[in-house]
Amino acid sequence: MPLDDQNTVDDAALLARYARGDAAAARALTARLVPRVHAQAFRMLGDSAEAEDVAQEAMMRLWRIAPEWRSGEAKVTTWLYRVVANLCTDRLRKRPRGAVAIGSIAEPMDPAPSVEAKMQADARSHALRQALVALPERQRLAVMMRHFEGATNPEIAVRLDISTEAVESLTARGKRALATAMKGQAAALGYEDE
Amino acid sequence: MRHESKNESEDWLDQMLDDVARIPVPDAPPELMARVLADAEHLLPQPGGVPVQMPLWRQVVGGLGGWGALGGLAVAGVTGLAIGLGAFDAAGIDALWSIAPLDEYDSQASLTAFGWDYEEG
Repeated sequence: MPLDDQNTVDDAALLARYARGDAAAARALTARLVPRVHAQAFRMLGDSAEAEDVAQEAMMRLWRIAPEWRSGEAKVTTWLYRVVANLCTDRLRKRPRGAVAIGSIAEPMDPAPSVEAKMQADARSHALRQALVALPERQRLAVMMRHFEGATNPEIAVRLDISTEAVESLTARGKRALATAMKGQAAALGYEDE
Repeated sequence: MRHESKNESEDWLDQMLDDVARIPVPDAPPELMARVLADAEHLLPQPGGVPVQMPLWRQVVGGLGGWGALGGLAVAGVTGLAIGLGAFDAAGIDALWSIAPLDEYDSQASLTAFGWDYEEG
């Protein structure tokens, strides 16, 4: 099937085709899902190499689960979002608390900032991610979807399969917990906390 | 005063979240796409292999020919039931005995009725 035609087919239908041995469906799913998965992993980890590893592992799990996938029970993107979030959380928990990911320093995205500004940005990013890891899963996902992806509360509600009110509550509690956890570091990271 | 302090805390946190969210995200490199595709091909099931599992109710509906067929089946069933009940209500069970006996059947009349006599002259 031509790629243009596959653009109109939903993810679950493509996954069903893959499960029946359709290699073209795998190409369409890869082109569609890997950029999203990789971006999510990079936002959570702040490290290109680790983000690639997580993206590959998450997609590997998708290929493996394809024959057992129950169409209509969950969206493929929602399932993948959770897989990536969990893989990233595992990696963040294994990182030493003081360590900043090597990949995030080795290849600066913007050459203009000074070395000092870059280090400050890396330190903020690292501290925030470590604090996010300590949050309960749904609070962490709600905060990240809202602030890192710009998702609206109704969009987050659909992805997490909860009410919009529950999203508001999760986000508020998550941010309160983050503020409490990072209060002592705010000034050192260049923010006024009082 | 505690309320103001809490709002200020959330302000700096929002700023920090925005700063981290603004870090540019690199594109997924072609090498990653190639690795993912290689995995997919390695794990690709046999053509026509394992079908995707569906809930039992979907399998039943599909087995009957889909929602369209199921709707037609339901309408036919209800209509048949209504006709059956309606016939008995209108004439009662005695209506079955009012059918004319075979010896009163007029074979000539039936041939004439079809117009065969006119065609044959």
